[in-house]
Amino acid sequence: MAAITLIEAVNAAMAYELEHDQDVVLFGEDVGKNGGVFRATDGLQKKYGKDRVIDTPLAESMIAGLAVGMAAQGMKPIAEMQFMGFIFPAVDQIFCHAARMRHRTRGRITQPLVIRAPFGGGIHAPEHHSESTEALFSHIPGLKVVIPSNPSRAYGLMLAAIRDPDPVIFLEPKRVYRIVKHEVEDNGEEYPLEACFVDREGSDITLISWGAMMHETLQAAEKLAAEGIDAEVIDVATVSPIDMDTILESVEKTGRACIIQEAPKSGSVGSEIAAEIAEKAVLSLLAPIGRVSGYDTVMPYYRLEKQYMPNVDRILDEVRTIMEYK
Amino acid sequence: MKQFNLPDLGEGLPDAEIVRWLVKEGDTVAIDQPMVEMETAKAVVEVPSPFAGRIAKLHGQEGDVINTGDLLVSFGDGAVADEDEAPAEEAPAETNEAEASAEVSSDDIVGDTFMLPDLGEGLPDAEIVRWLVKEGDTVTVDQPMVEMETAKAVVEVPSPFAAKVSKLYGQPGDVINTGDPLVEFGGSGKSSAPKKEESGEEKRADSGTVVGAVEVGNNVVAETTNSVVKALARKLKVDLTQVSGTGKDGAITQKDVREAAKNGTGSAKAAKAAPQPESGFDTSNPLAYKASPAVRALARKLGVDLGNCQASGRKGSITRDDVEQASKGGGSAPAATSQAQAKASSTPSSTGGLPTLNVEVKPESVRGVRRAMAMGMAHSHSTVVPTSLVEDVDISAWPKGTDSLARYVRALVVAAKAVPAVNAWFDGEKFERLLHPNVNVGIAVDSGDGLYVPVVHNADRMSMADVRANVQELRQKIESKSLKQEDQQNATITLSNFGSIAGRYGTPVVSPPQVAILGTGRFRNELKLTDKGIVNAKMLPLSLTFDHRACTGGEAARFLAAVMEDLQKAQ
Repeated sequence: MAAITLIEAVNAAMAYELEHDQDVVLFGEDVGKNGGVFRATDGLQKKYGKDRVIDTPLAESMIAGLAVGMAAQGMKPIAEMQFMGFIFPAVDQIFCHAARMRHRTRGRITQPLVIRAPFGGGIHAPEHHSESTEALFSHIPGLKVVIPSNPSRAYGLMLAAIRDPDPVIFLEPKRVYRIVKHEVEDNGEEYPLEACFVDREGSDITLISWGAMMHETLQAAEKLAAEGIDAEVIDVATVSPIDMDTILESVEKTGRACIIQEAPKSGSVGSEIAAEIAEKAVLSLLAPIGRVSGYDTVMPYYRLEKQYMPNVDRILDEVRTIMEYK
Repeated sequence: MKQFNLPDLGEGLPDAEIVRWLVKEGDTVAIDQPMVEMETAKAVVEVPSPFAGRIAKLHGQEGDVINTGDLLVSFGDGAVADEDEAPAEEAPAETNEAEASAEVSSDDIVGDTFMLPDLGEGLPDAEIVRWLVKEGDTVTVDQPMVEMETAKAVVEVPSPFAAKVSKLYGQPGDVINTGDPLVEFGGSGKSSAPKKEESGEEKRADSGTVVGAVEVGNNVVAETTNSVVKALARKLKVDLTQVSGTGKDGAITQKDVREAAKNGTGSAKAAKAAPQPESGFDTSNPLAYKASPAVRALARKLGVDLGNCQASGRKGSITRDDVEQASKGGGSAPAATSQAQAKASSTPSSTGGLPTLNVEVKPESVRGVRRAMAMGMAHSHSTVVPTSLVEDVDISAWPKGTDSLARYVRALVVAAKAVPAVNAWFDGEKFERLLHPNVNVGIAVDSGDGLYVPVVHNADRMSMADVRANVQELRQKIESKSLKQEDQQNATITLSNFGSIAGRYGTPVVSPPQVAILGTGRFRNELKLTDKGIVNAKMLPLSLTFDHRACTGGEAARFLAAVMEDLQKAQ
């Protein structure tokens, strides 16, 4: 048992699968010799060799295409996009091939691949480094989109993602890469995909979030508890497909829901969750569903980043508004 | 002699390790020539020279860790100063990323003069677009002072101090070289000390480099394994109460859950039902009732406790009508009753439905014809003001083999002609009535599926034989389920011949917009006192129900009298 960061957990999970499954290969820009810009793949090439941990040229479409091809031939590729903002050249390969291969071949060929990408803001990064575009991928049938919120989940969900027979977009909230450590046992135990984690039980309102925003959400829940508002906190973790059963059960218990996300509001994962709640749990709602989110604008540079990112105060304000409905 | 200190290599990390020197002491280097490979926690990067010149001393050996800001290379005589402070080389994919706003570090401050910092892309100069402050202004820390345009972007340059601006170097349009004076601060107001102390730290956290500043924390938090196990249990539909744990202190592990799912030992249904607490029926808890927010708002407005409402909506929900009903009923539906009813049902899904009985009979849903009947009757009950008249008529005169149904129809036709107010439609909303010139007789027919009311249209223009044939045809259509919509429409008055089964009198239900229905009971032999003495009379009970909104009691009575008069006839 060692206290490790989220990035170290990602590294540990990939190392575990490289060790135990010869079909697993890892590649991307700078992942080999340099160990990745964030050191996610640190030491892996040294240990598992250049055949299994491969530095690629700067060509995201090729990286994704390589993953599709390898996966079609029964390997289990893990491809790194250096930043989610650079994933767009690879979208054609992901949407048109990885996501559809099982359907196209009537189940004959699956795509056991993982595409990793650091995402999200809050680290004062330049343009194209801070966006949260998980909704794009969530919209595509055939893709699973997984977002760990802490080191333990990064480890368990990464293992599950690699072992999953279908393509998984694994988005790592880079703001959380190093700010928190968990005691994680490197025992190869995976966490369930397509399942929400209830991180705090409560009876007054359901707070729903994922990724980096889980930290603000849990802090907000603690502050709300001091005000006498007992919030239940759900980490969605797999944002596609979403485990709505857990969310609906919670909302039916509390009668109130607030969704917290970093991404722009319109057409987002939060919109989808809100719509599902409205569709299936309207009879239990005591108040409108609240959403605390980024804005429908380009993610700003760091001087305005704090204005953009949802914070504890914004969550508290929204929850108080929701609680005012009696 | 020029000194080169280790810059922040880009990720806000405190130090870096020397991997390999690429130059040696005495070498002459060019600007941007890589001097050393250094490894941070994130990457190995090459550090380029900011100067063209001769290297006097390398500070540190391979394997040494150098703190950010510490001395790395000393340049000897002949160093050609280049005012560019070379930026740290970054991970190759990232070098061309534009930065939004200027970073200010202590390196940019000489005395009270603020030098133009490298605005982020290693460019040699920048053009002043617009001053945002003027000489004599007092600025705060981070307050934008000037907009400057580099080859890539217009950025705001913030103040590193809270101080008074004593001099601005340059006008809009002027090009300032990186490292040249930009702003001079003066006066006593300068309070840069705390900021300056922070600036080293800030630089690390907010280095504004291509990758950004990933915060580093050291707080160790434990994963709540409980939530993982619960998530897995929900996914695999395992009831955790049925699983015995093999973990530490009997804790349930993921493995236990997976095994339970494989062996089928935890029942999913039990798990589903379990989380709903009994206390959910506490009337003080609004979630004990299912209702849309609009209905809840209505209940609030009308001061109705949802506990006093029948739940007639979908999925056992309370509808607007239920709330309005409860509002009208006022206290007549005491909370205790509905609570008792709620308590009787053991599952929330049946709240407001039929109480659950301890028998193995499940309520069937009422569909089709029966459902239509239920809805029709409910509509009738909620609109018509029904009043009934009952009377017996002596039909002793009927010859053997008389077709009773045809006679009833004929009697209705005759009476309708005599009293048109009863053979009518009434619209209670617009207060209109329509007296029909023709007589369409609806005939209530009992069937296994439920109640049908086919219509003998224009019975007033038919012979009795035609009526019989028509009714016969309609009955066959019912049996063959080929009765059409139009066969059941536009009745002007209805006949219910319940007496063919049993029952003397009844209160048949008027089907709006019709205003009347005649029920014929079971006929009987009765001793009757006549002028000729006591005779055995054959008596037919009649029950006329009419909508008292549409016709008077007198009209109804005259109608009934006309029916009787016709029925009394032999032929």
